[in-house]
Amino acid sequence: MERFQYTRARTVPEAIGIAAQSTTAQQSAPIRFVAGGTTLVDLMKLDVERPTRLVDINHLGLNAIERTADGGLKVGALVRNSALAQDPAVMRDYRVLSEALLSGASAQLRNVATTSGNLLQRTRCMYFRNTAMACNKREPGSGCSAIGGENRTLAILGTSSQCIATNPSDMNVALAALEATVHLQGTKGTRAIAFQDFHLLPGDTPNRETVLEPGDLVTHVTLPPPRSGTTSRYLKLRDRASYEFALASAAVVVEVAGGRFRYVRLAMGGIGTKPWRMTAAEQALTGAPVDEATIRQAATLALRDARPQSQNGFKVELATRCLAHALRLATGMASV
Amino acid sequence: MSVVGTSVARKDGIGKATGAAKYADDLSIPGMLFGRTVRSTIPCGRVKRIRYDFDTTGFTIVDRRDIPLDGRNVVALIEDDQPFLVERDVRHVAEPIVLLAHADREKLLAADVIIEYEVEPPVFDPEASTESLKTLTIDKGHLDAGFAQADVIVEGTYRTGHQEHVYIEPNGVIAVPEDGGIAIFGSIQCPFYVVKALKSLLGPKAHVRVVQTETGGGFGGKEEYPSMIAGHATLLALKAGLPVKIVYDRTEDMIATTKRHPSIVRHRTGVKRDGTLVAMDVEVILDGGAYITLSPVVLSRGCIHAAGPYRCDNVRIRGRAMLTNTPPNGAFRGFGAPQTIFAIEAHMDRIAEALGVDPVTIRERNALVPGDTTATGQRLTADCSALPVLREAVERTDFRRKREALRGTNRGIGLSLFYHGSGFTGSGELRLASKAALELTDHGVRILVSSTEIGQGTRTMHAQIVAETLGIPYEDVDVAQPDTTLVPDSGPTVASRTCMVVGRILQRCAEDLKRRLGDLTPAEYYRAHGPFTIVREHEPPGWIQWDDETYTGDAYATYAWGCDVVEVELDADTCEVRPLHLTAVQEVGKAIHPALARGQIEGGSAQGIGYAIVEHVAMRDGVMANASLTNYTIPTTLDTPAMDIVLLENPYEDGPFGAKGLGELPMDGPAPAVINALRHLGVDLSEIPATPERVMSACGSR
Amino acid sequence: MRLTLNGAVTDVEAAPGRRLLDVLREECGLTGTKEGCGEGECGACTVLMNGQLVVSCLVPFAQAEGAEIRTIEGVGDHALQQHFMSEAGAQCGICTPGMVMTASTLSRDATLEDIRIALAGNLCRCTGYEAIYRAIQRARAATSA
Repeated sequence: MERFQYTRARTVPEAIGIAAQSTTAQQSAPIRFVAGGTTLVDLMKLDVERPTRLVDINHLGLNAIERTADGGLKVGALVRNSALAQDPAVMRDYRVLSEALLSGASAQLRNVATTSGNLLQRTRCMYFRNTAMACNKREPGSGCSAIGGENRTLAILGTSSQCIATNPSDMNVALAALEATVHLQGTKGTRAIAFQDFHLLPGDTPNRETVLEPGDLVTHVTLPPPRSGTTSRYLKLRDRASYEFALASAAVVVEVAGGRFRYVRLAMGGIGTKPWRMTAAEQALTGAPVDEATIRQAATLALRDARPQSQNGFKVELATRCLAHALRLATGMASV
Repeated sequence: MSVVGTSVARKDGIGKATGAAKYADDLSIPGMLFGRTVRSTIPCGRVKRIRYDFDTTGFTIVDRRDIPLDGRNVVALIEDDQPFLVERDVRHVAEPIVLLAHADREKLLAADVIIEYEVEPPVFDPEASTESLKTLTIDKGHLDAGFAQADVIVEGTYRTGHQEHVYIEPNGVIAVPEDGGIAIFGSIQCPFYVVKALKSLLGPKAHVRVVQTETGGGFGGKEEYPSMIAGHATLLALKAGLPVKIVYDRTEDMIATTKRHPSIVRHRTGVKRDGTLVAMDVEVILDGGAYITLSPVVLSRGCIHAAGPYRCDNVRIRGRAMLTNTPPNGAFRGFGAPQTIFAIEAHMDRIAEALGVDPVTIRERNALVPGDTTATGQRLTADCSALPVLREAVERTDFRRKREALRGTNRGIGLSLFYHGSGFTGSGELRLASKAALELTDHGVRILVSSTEIGQGTRTMHAQIVAETLGIPYEDVDVAQPDTTLVPDSGPTVASRTCMVVGRILQRCAEDLKRRLGDLTPAEYYRAHGPFTIVREHEPPGWIQWDDETYTGDAYATYAWGCDVVEVELDADTCEVRPLHLTAVQEVGKAIHPALARGQIEGGSAQGIGYAIVEHVAMRDGVMANASLTNYTIPTTLDTPAMDIVLLENPYEDGPFGAKGLGELPMDGPAPAVINALRHLGVDLSEIPATPERVMSACGSR
Repeated sequence: MRLTLNGAVTDVEAAPGRRLLDVLREECGLTGTKEGCGEGECGACTVLMNGQLVVSCLVPFAQAEGAEIRTIEGVGDHALQQHFMSEAGAQCGICTPGMVMTASTLSRDATLEDIRIALAGNLCRCTGYEAIYRAIQRARAATSA
């Protein structure tokens, strides 16, 4: 861990002003916001991140959960994961989000980790976390050790020849299915980014993970008003039952009417380089009858573009089954 | 009064429950520096050049040339082949090359040492390796004649991977210059192993004192490796003239230290139509890693247990431990037996399937009974309990009925029958000549042994044996902290020997002392006659005959026996394997402290469940790629099944109050029981861990 | 920086970016809180911050300013500690302080399932957790009796 300057920001503009001096808001940023610190302290200890200045944003407020004018929900950037998961409105109207949050990490971490921190959670790819190995995400141009290496847990969707790292967040998968909006404040004012546009594909610049520019501060996330009649569920498959990242997970929001899918939003985790919306499957399901054949076809369609690596071919089948089962859960075709 | 057989309060309980117990990293000595190990990054080759690319002011830097002239650059163990610091040849990733020490940890971590290598092609596949670390053959009867009697021949190949110990306290020691030599305080299973290694490093005349601090788990992982770390801290401390602490972080601990040997075991078994085993041909291959270390003994124990607890007149077991360019594999609870027992127990269910009988029947037909001989020709006596544990487990779980009832569901039930030899193999205990001592104190007695408390309950159980024998209250028995200048060498704390062997010596000490005390209590005797210490040496039973050349004879003084039944649930969609329930019936001679005995079985079983289902070391290019608790998973509360533990007692006549060794036994059973439960579900696996992808591909083929 | 440490208002001088774990162990002499992994996985470093469980290895010290921190040295749940001893819930003992901290937040009527879920962020390699459940259940039964 290298030495760094620690500043406690008192206002949002002050925080933004300091961070705007950074050369980047992405990997290796010299100036970093710190909220819960669970990701940053970890990566600094591993020497993966070496900021020279930390800006503590814990005292900026931004920790409320409020109804929006349109009946949706506004979640402050600093709302702790445990508080969000246990919020009555979330448990009632956005069950998939609560389930996703509770399926991640441990109680000790959820008590500290924040909404914006979770949004910006870094990959658990073992090569990213090991400075002795080549990794384009950590050090652009150094190569990708995971391609042809230990890639059992890595991505099968959205990969590039430069990077196959998986986005590890459970919360993000739920937010993708809920079509959340990420709200930023920066030097040029505020911006609202549709969730699916917030994270970037690795392409040739896997070090760039989000649209954030120097000075951009995530202030809150909004959820659209809950649709009446919808059911939402999160299903996560992993190697062990607690505190383990997903091999595959599915967030499902569905509305069924007259035996047919009327509204469907699907997203998956553990398999994509970013939280992955399954739009083709959504379209295939919408209007189709709720039955086993439809569900299987849609799940297969969802993984149609999967490009497995040397060790993670099983994830295609696993993810297909995961999505199908999540759909069964949400439609009451299965109970566990 | 009877203290043996009751669950008295642990001697170390309150210190641990309040956080007052001091582990190595909790100690700080004025002036202390922190040490760091600079390690190889290639698996095979030679060091060409070392460059120090930092301001070396304030640093202590040690390389191989700093080893004293009287000393040798070898970690003395079985063979003298592993250096403390690379001389020139690198045999594995993470091999120590240079040592640094500094008072400031941040400066220490930032120091950049650049090492240039000449790279050579490594070997990672033990079957492709041409260099064996040890080979052995066990021969009994006539294999060909046996196969000639067989109606059916069943073959199978079984594989297990590395397993990481994951003691929650990583390795760590502090070296303090003392009396012209060195004192070591550390997380250590075997203090006298460290003394031996340091006397080899510094020269036989050097002053060496080793003190075990509270140790946060070992499981074999702190058997041989602390000698290496202690050597490194010693070299730094002697050069700096200051105390030096080396505590590994989790990643370094996982990358550099030992693991369980991966294995490939091939079985070819001849069996009669009625289920009688008539010929067993077994090949055992262990991946030893880059140095010999303990591989010969691990191979030995693995091979001796490879035929399982079964009677067969014609057996051949051929074993070899092969050199590969990974860090040396080493001691881990069970010491080779979990690998070979996994193979034979998975194989027995295949044999049952081939014959169309159930898993209980095939085992009942062949289980060893008193009077039978093992693969090494050892004739078993009344303390053989294979059938009693099997019957108890089958009855208690209603195994046969349940197996029928579960048919067609997503639940399966499987069992394993196993045994584990207590103490060192063959004449090992005779060679060790372990000692233990008792000294009087002003209020009772104090136990002096080098056996370490690593969580298993050494202090408590030894104190119970002594209190019971002397007829004094448990509270009047103290246990000295293992300090090699104060306690005799009781042998290493390994091989399920601490209760049975060292406990027995203590019992003899107490018997002698009781005669000497006459009618006086220890405290009265102390006041009347002053200090008094009694020392006794282990006396192995005279009947033990063992031949190291032919691998025949009495391999162990006695065996503990177990039968595990595991029920699993398989999610047909997701291929997740969830262990629901484990019943462990284990015959341990006599449970000196039932709660601790039960704790050993519960903990060992959880490690076995992890080994079976979730624990996977991704060894890539000779290095553990998933070297963190994020990426190497062990069971949490939600992955561990409900457990029903049954202790059976069938006394071993030469153990203290009849006790056998039980520390390793529970590690042997869960993995095959899980795999057999999956076989009950129609999933044909012959490799652990049973990861979703393995289960999925096995499901696809059914 | 000022905080309330085990009930006492305490001034501690340490860099704001240091890990709370290191500050507790090295500046405050409270070595009962252990480091098992340094990445928030094992829970050995669990302490209470403002009544909530946190892994002190991932908490920057700055967050402790003005907070109420409680460690194993100040947990004061003697029944729980007593039963960890009597039920052999502690074997090697290195996970025990973290286990006790987590268990101290459980309600009296916690079921076995509640206990299992609550302890899922604390790893133990010795016990298979069974003796820990027994210790917690007995302690809860004793204090509610």
